[in-house]
Amino acid sequence: MIKKIDISKALKLNGVVAVLTYNDIPGLNGFGIAIQDQPVLCYDKVRYIGDAVALVACETKELLDKAIDLIEVEYEPLPVVEDPLKALEKDSPKVHENGNIHLHTKIDKGDIEKGFKEADLIIENEYRTGRQEHAYLETESGFAFYDEDEDLLTIFCGGQYPFRDQIQIARVLAIDPRKIRIIDEPMGGGFGGKDEITTQIHLALLAYHTKRLVKMEIERDESIVFSWKKHPMILRYKTGVKKDGTLTSNEIYIYADTGAYASLGGPIVNLAVEHSCGPYRVPNTHIEGFCIYTNNGVSGAFRGFGVNQVTFAMESQMDEIAEKLNMDPVLLRRKNILKKGDETGIGSKIETSIGLKKILDEIEKHPLYKDREKNKIDSSEYKKYGVGIAISYQGTGLGVGLPDYGACWIEMRRDGGFNVYSGSVEIGQQMKTTLKLIALEALKISDEDKVFIITGDTSITPDCGTTTASGATYRSRRAIEIASKKMIDILKKEVNEIFNIPTDEIKIEDGIFKNLNDEKITTYEDLAEILYDKRRLPKTEGHFNFPTSKTKIPGAFGLPHYIFSFSGAIALVEVNILTGKTNLIKAVNLIDGGRVINKIGFEGQSEGGIVMGMGYALMEDVIIKNGEFLVKNFSTYLIPTSMDSPYQIETIPIESFEELGPYGSKGIGETTMVPIAPAITNAIFNATGKRIKQTPATPERVFFALHKLPEK
Amino acid sequence: MREFEYYKVKNLKEAINLSKKFGKNKRFLAGGTDLIVRLKDNLIKEENIIDIKNIEELKGIKEVEDEIHIGSLVTFSEIIESDILKKYSPLIVEASKKVGSPQIRNKGTIGGNICNASPAGDSIPPLFCEDAKFFLESTNGSRIVNIEDFFKGPGKTILKEDEILVKIILKKWKENEFGFFNKLGQRNALTIAIASSCIKIKKSDGKIEDIKISLGSVSPTVIRAKKVENILRGLKEYKKDEIIKICDEVKEEIDPITDVRGSREYRIEVSKYLVFEALNNLLNIRG
Ligand SMILES: Cc1cc2nc3c(=O)[nH]c(=O)nc-3n(C[C@H](O)[C@H](O)[C@H](O)COP(=O)(O)OP(=O)(O)OC[C@H]3O[C@@H](n4cnc5c(N)ncnc54)[C@H](O)[C@@H]3O)c2cc1C
Repeated sequence: MIKKIDISKALKLNGVVAVLTYNDIPGLNGFGIAIQDQPVLCYDKVRYIGDAVALVACETKELLDKAIDLIEVEYEPLPVVEDPLKALEKDSPKVHENGNIHLHTKIDKGDIEKGFKEADLIIENEYRTGRQEHAYLETESGFAFYDEDEDLLTIFCGGQYPFRDQIQIARVLAIDPRKIRIIDEPMGGGFGGKDEITTQIHLALLAYHTKRLVKMEIERDESIVFSWKKHPMILRYKTGVKKDGTLTSNEIYIYADTGAYASLGGPIVNLAVEHSCGPYRVPNTHIEGFCIYTNNGVSGAFRGFGVNQVTFAMESQMDEIAEKLNMDPVLLRRKNILKKGDETGIGSKIETSIGLKKILDEIEKHPLYKDREKNKIDSSEYKKYGVGIAISYQGTGLGVGLPDYGACWIEMRRDGGFNVYSGSVEIGQQMKTTLKLIALEALKISDEDKVFIITGDTSITPDCGTTTASGATYRSRRAIEIASKKMIDILKKEVNEIFNIPTDEIKIEDGIFKNLNDEKITTYEDLAEILYDKRRLPKTEGHFNFPTSKTKIPGAFGLPHYIFSFSGAIALVEVNILTGKTNLIKAVNLIDGGRVINKIGFEGQSEGGIVMGMGYALMEDVIIKNGEFLVKNFSTYLIPTSMDSPYQIETIPIESFEELGPYGSKGIGETTMVPIAPAITNAIFNATGKRIKQTPATPERVFFALHKLPEK
Repeated sequence: MREFEYYKVKNLKEAINLSKKFGKNKRFLAGGTDLIVRLKDNLIKEENIIDIKNIEELKGIKEVEDEIHIGSLVTFSEIIESDILKKYSPLIVEASKKVGSPQIRNKGTIGGNICNASPAGDSIPPLFCEDAKFFLESTNGSRIVNIEDFFKGPGKTILKEDEILVKIILKKWKENEFGFFNKLGQRNALTIAIASSCIKIKKSDGKIEDIKISLGSVSPTVIRAKKVENILRGLKEYKKDEIIKICDEVKEEIDPITDVRGSREYRIEVSKYLVFEALNNLLNIRG
């Protein structure tokens, strides 16, 4: 609780340009993608240790520390809400006035009691997952300035959705969004962590107040504390299954720690609910998801968006079922996987492509899986090898009822090349390369210099939705396709007019117009010159709405998804049973993302997904005690190094053709990571006979699962 | 980062004279891989930094009869590359390979590792097994201290205000000597030890003639597990159950803390197995 904020001493310090508090916010003192429950600058309460109370601008960076030390804030300590389960209790202190439950989703399908009665085996477990940090290479940073003559505020900042940032800033400053220009700089990684506001509003406030160029850079130890994390979840699963392996029922409770503010916690919990039964047919389900406020930092969007956690739980359940039924894990999955027309765990029909059967076929014949018993023979007395598998699926796009679209503008240039404007942003995922490849193909030219991609600038590019949910390539691709087709049609019409050749007798090969006899009519370059003289260089637009399901799930906003990507993983681990230290030795990722367009990008996503999934499985966890971060830098928050990465990684594309996708493709950004953690923990079980129900599977957790050395 | 005065000295004399002048209010700077990090985190109160990197007397690895002298400024990379050490003192080489990353090994020095006096300093357990001696110099002259007398606690040593670590003195390995260093970390590189163990054994006629066991990260300083050593000394047969039981005694000799890397309980339990793992690599332990 804030009692008093005194900035007078800081203001007196030479070189301090501005010190802003909540008093200096002209508009809404709040932000958040879903609801604006997070103060830009706190006024009554500080709900987590990364909350901002004052903004300071100095002439030099060195002065900042001094100025900040001079700000006096008097607090009255409030009780810390730490445990999400305790936060649910009636007499728990409240993080927000309305209580600690941000969202509670409940879904019933079939008859859960009947399902359990039909079951020959019921498996019940509680799982817990760690708090993963995105660990993007580049921390949050940007700069901004305000042009008084133009009355225009310009912000350069790496984000994932410049048009939404623009609106969030406008609300806080209470100015017309058109007076704000966001230029989204290509940045060093997002993984979902920069979907929400990072520095944008603070930059805007300072630039607006000081009328000067302002730069802000969050240092790593600040970044880890203030920024969003993957939701730690407590997952209670009770799964019923018949002797022959047919799943009958699933009763699931998901408790997600969203920290002090909502951000995207609600949709994330809903996605967890949607995917909680895995890619399987489960006729009877009762699923509840809770998104719970605590004082533990903040959780938000992160690669997988709630699906990592439930997949870890469900795939552990499947592994245990296979073990208890003495059934091959692939066979068990075969019996239950979703086929076109089947219902998912929340009762929505899947009507788009499914590559699951092919994934299982590939796993079954892969030597790493097929010869898994032989692999174990290499185990020494104190080092055990084991192989585990997992499969998963991930809805792409934002889901029902959320604006999800792509847009693109294309203009022909005087030199016969094209400018392609897209609102999707480059966040290190090779977006620009991918867009270029698509535009080259769609515009029927091969010279890379002829296509210029312009992304992420609210003043000159169209709104293209957020670069998230594995859907950016998909969205902008469709839009480029449409705009390109229009462009080609216009160009043919022009050729028809000028050269008097019927349009259906004109074909284009690598920027050259030809007639039916394969004779050259003209080229893009020459045509552009002619059109330029006539001041008629064409411009086209492409708009595309992301396909969503026609049905909605009552009580669960955004559900269901319509298009799904599928993936599977095989992991070979080595467990040192003397210490509990586990190494991932080999990993295979099998990904159904539809047709592969950018092969290097595809493999990059897969390999990155494996290593990030491995970090999630084995070491990554931001530990918070009593509201304090015990881990706030890369010296204690450990992510895998090249010495930890498996020495063999294989990526197998499973190209199930998605008719709705551009060139038959789907998204893969997230699904590459999702099955990795359960494949690893299942492999640990295979190696040691001990099941790890809490990630990360640190040496300590594995050690204590193994107790002592088996007494021989 | 707080402001400080920076001095670059050319020789040992200058360094100790200057340090005499500043007394407590100074720090030596070697590779800086500990000091700079702490400076940035405002954990260093001293206002004078004396850069010793250019002092020739602190450099180099030399053979002196049956001894090896390692200058305090010798980096981990130099240790790893040293033919003398590979031949006559391989444990320190193995331990140095486990330090940080290539960048840290290129900058970080053995002297800095010792004087930083972290219980997790990776070069320290092998030095305990070698019964290393430290050559110190101050305005009052020089002295040689045994490693067992040097450390007083985490970050604490017996170094006097104006005293500098000049070199580390090791005895060359003889025949029949074997060693093993194992470091348990949360990951395989660039990691601070959860616990580590180091063993040097001298064998004759198939029995353990002498043995030294040291453990890192499980007590306020690196320690020797002398009880376990005493039980093992003279042993001829290596039965698994018996050896494990003996290793269990190590619990009596350590006093670890809980931190983000691991709990006290884990450190206590795993220490025994680390020692066992090292022994298993050196002896023919049977079922
Ligand atoms: C990313 C990273 C990873 C690391 N990983 C490891 C690791 O795996 N294992 C490990 O053991 N350490 C590790 N360290 C710690 C550090 O690198 C080592 O302790 C290194 O040996 C310190 O040496 P230095 O030369 O850099 O010391 P400095 O930082 O220069 O000095 C350290 C301290 O010793 C004092 N000092 C230095 N030389 C002398 C001398 N001759 N006489 C008296 N006092 C002296 C200094 O005043 C200072 O207080 C790591 C550090 C970092 C930043």
